[in-house]
Amino acid sequence: MLIQIILLIIIAVIVLRLAVKYRAKELPGKQFISWLVFWLAASAAVIWPQLTVNIANRVGVGRGSDLVVYLALIFLFYILFRLFLRIEKLEKNLTKVARAEALKEKNDSTE
Amino acid sequence: MKLAIIIPAYNEAEKISSVVLAVKAAQPESLIIVVDDGSGDATAELAASAGADVLRHKINRGQGAALKTGVEYAFRRYIDAAVFFDADGQMEPSEIKLLAAELSQGYDVVLGSRNLGRALNMPLAKKIAKKLALYFTRFTTGLKLTDTHNGFQAWTSGSLKRLNLGQDRQAYASEVLHEIKRLKLKYCEVPVTIRYTGYSIKKGQSIWNAFGILWDLLIK
Repeated sequence: MLIQIILLIIIAVIVLRLAVKYRAKELPGKQFISWLVFWLAASAAVIWPQLTVNIANRVGVGRGSDLVVYLALIFLFYILFRLFLRIEKLEKNLTKVARAEALKEKNDSTE
Repeated sequence: MKLAIIIPAYNEAEKISSVVLAVKAAQPESLIIVVDDGSGDATAELAASAGADVLRHKINRGQGAALKTGVEYAFRRYIDAAVFFDADGQMEPSEIKLLAAELSQGYDVVLGSRNLGRALNMPLAKKIAKKLALYFTRFTTGLKLTDTHNGFQAWTSGSLKRLNLGQDRQAYASEVLHEIKRLKLKYCEVPVTIRYTGYSIKKGQSIWNAFGILWDLLIK
């Protein structure tokens, strides 16, 4: 089906981007592997939709695509939460640096 | 009592000189600290030439963060107490001594209250928002205050040292009240005049920011 081709192309582009980032050493090996596994699993679900249906039925969800949406949402919210904490920490550190710098500058100028 | 007046300022070039000079005239013995919070204008230079001790954040970190920087600097200068003061000319420098006087009476913290005092030309929408904030704070901290989020405050250095301020932005004002409750500080309110001018309204908090503050407090 057309949707499968479209999804696979999108996934291929994403994996390509991952590989480029990995080779440029912008992405640590461990993260590269996790993301690769994630996207390979996603393409497996696209190529053999029956896979997700089987798993969905086993856990009591009617349709395979429903299960995928549930899991994707949980995953997204978790990532959002992680990012949120990370940004918060960055902000706090930024303030510490700005403060230390301000105090140091003041100290230097009065000596 | 050696007093520090801490004035956080962000792009206040228009008013900062007159505010520093007025504070200096009212409190000639006090240490006046202006924390320039990454302003893009001449705030820092103007404050320095008006006679304040100026510290500069290289980037904007918010009013709470700027106050804390001022507090840390004040500690290095061995002060006995600190007063938080606004840079936009809303507050009355002659009232600083009223707050300081209460500290001498044995209070740890003295909070200015515009409801005991006079709020000149406060817009109606702001009145309503402040009222809601007041009930919210009463509900969450149990502090019986007539005004919340009034930036005009005086602290003994002992209580300031125990104060743990984590909020960089406006939510620090609520955090301060929670800290007063947590540390069981002896506090009182003193009537103060807050002058709402075209300039201070333009520069100050929009009531919509209340939602942002609530977000900072609840979610973060």
